Amino acid sequence: MKIATLSERLSLVSYRNQGLSDFQPHIRVDTEICNSVCPHHCTTYVCPANCYTKDEQGLVHFQVEDCIECGTCMYACDQGAVTWEFPHPENGRGVTWNFG
Amino acid sequence: MDDKFDCIVVGAGVAGLSAALTLARNNLKFLLIEKGKFPGSKNVSGGVLWGSDLAKLVPSYWEDPNAGWERFINHRRLTFLDKESSFSIDFKSTHFNSPPYSGVVVLRSRFDRWLADKVEQAIAESDYAMDSFLATNILVEELVEEQGKVVGIRAGNETFYADSVILAEGVNNLLTRQAGLQSSYVPADHILTGVKEVIRFDRKQLEDRFQLNGLSGMSNEFVGYATNGVEGGGFLYTNRDSISLGLVLGLKDLRNKGQTPYDLLNHFKQHPVISDTIRGGEIVEYSAHVVSSGDRRLIPEKLYKPGLLICGEAANLLMNAGRAIQGMDYAMRSGIMAAETVVKAKGKGDFGNSTLKKYQEALDESYVMKDIRNFQDAVELLHDPAIRESIPNLICDFGRNFFQIRNEPTRKARHLFSQSVRRHSSWRELLKIGFKGAKSM
Repeated sequence: MKIATLSERLSLVSYRNQGLSDFQPHIRVDTEICNSVCPHHCTTYVCPANCYTKDEQGLVHFQVEDCIECGTCMYACDQGAVTWEFPHPENGRGVTWNFG
Repeated sequence: MDDKFDCIVVGAGVAGLSAALTLARNNLKFLLIEKGKFPGSKNVSGGVLWGSDLAKLVPSYWEDPNAGWERFINHRRLTFLDKESSFSIDFKSTHFNSPPYSGVVVLRSRFDRWLADKVEQAIAESDYAMDSFLATNILVEELVEEQGKVVGIRAGNETFYADSVILAEGVNNLLTRQAGLQSSYVPADHILTGVKEVIRFDRKQLEDRFQLNGLSGMSNEFVGYATNGVEGGGFLYTNRDSISLGLVLGLKDLRNKGQTPYDLLNHFKQHPVISDTIRGGEIVEYSAHVVSSGDRRLIPEKLYKPGLLICGEAANLLMNAGRAIQGMDYAMRSGIMAAETVVKAKGKGDFGNSTLKKYQEALDESYVMKDIRNFQDAVELLHDPAIRESIPNLICDFGRNFFQIRNEPTRKARHLFSQSVRRHSSWRELLKIGFKGAKSM
């Protein structure tokens, strides 16, 4: 069986409110904390949807579009940079699992 | 909906649905709120619902051809992996073939929706057929408290009032934290991240490959190579025409070791034994969710306050002590018990501490907390690095030597075993693990 890439995997996820261009992000990340005091930048490798990435300068960036609401970053970040809420059903992103 | 409810249940997962069913059957007026599009749409589990409580909640569920479960378990396997081998403890028995089954595999998006139908039916048959509701697509943002007592919930601009609130919001328990029953930041120490793929097969191919008969199914847990040295293990469960394959990974260890969940899932799938097992399948869903470890220190000290009860994974009721990963059955039992307490509180007209603490007392006396208390040593043992590194390597090394036939004088098994112990571990380490194991069992 072929090994799937993460983007192939995420392409199977049913996200909510895909038509909305201007949705309300349910996770806020204070990347200034990531890029100043955080010694490990762990969200950039523990997130199962790779919502946290590092650029060429080593700076952490966050996007919520691919988030599958697992909760990992809320526990993994021990620097207080992650504010985690559930997406709003009407104007948030987040998932609807087909199998779960 | 101006009138006050007897109870508001937040979250239509296994715990919330079990609570709601119990409330409906006891003729209470309640509101069950789910943030997802439908019950189960936000829920992920491995997942096997262990035990026979489901048969108490939905009698004769196995007679319904459209029931929401996938397969009953009559085949268990625990597999130790090293880089190239697998060594399994395998048990299959017709003893498990007749209902009530001792475990059913579920896919939550389907199972929870089916259980929610039972709730709707129970509401229709209750005295509050027109006044109790299951409401989806509503996000509860806040608990409403008056004079230290929870009196309702707020969702957007609307506030709903009730004598009691049952929180069944799952492991990411923001409202439980808001209520002050758990600290606002929960560290990664006793949290695991699960990643899973649902892999579809032609049904006949699936049944032949896993020796399934009718709706029989298999559960297989893996330790060793699967997690590449990270705390945790792998799982494989058979659904009707797919398998659920995944890993559960200790989050603190994942962070310390700099590893990535989906890369580890690939690592697991590329093991020669796993890759032979999943050949020809097609991935139809990739999902992830955190889960609590079963360490008692994570469970909130108090599971109630005036007007409020918490149950299921919101109360971190989950445990893997090596025999099975139990969580959904704990959710079911605690949801039922929370609802039973609300029924009693309604009878007494008192939703204060003295009545609601009976929930925690009953839970403490149930198998849920008894098991969690009694198997803490086992939970701790499973976190020992030897369990995922030296032990699987030792067992597989012994297997390789024991099962290899050389046409030369054969060494006794005990010599081969000693050799494997020296190569991968030590008698000292084995004694330590053996002692801990004996103590925990």
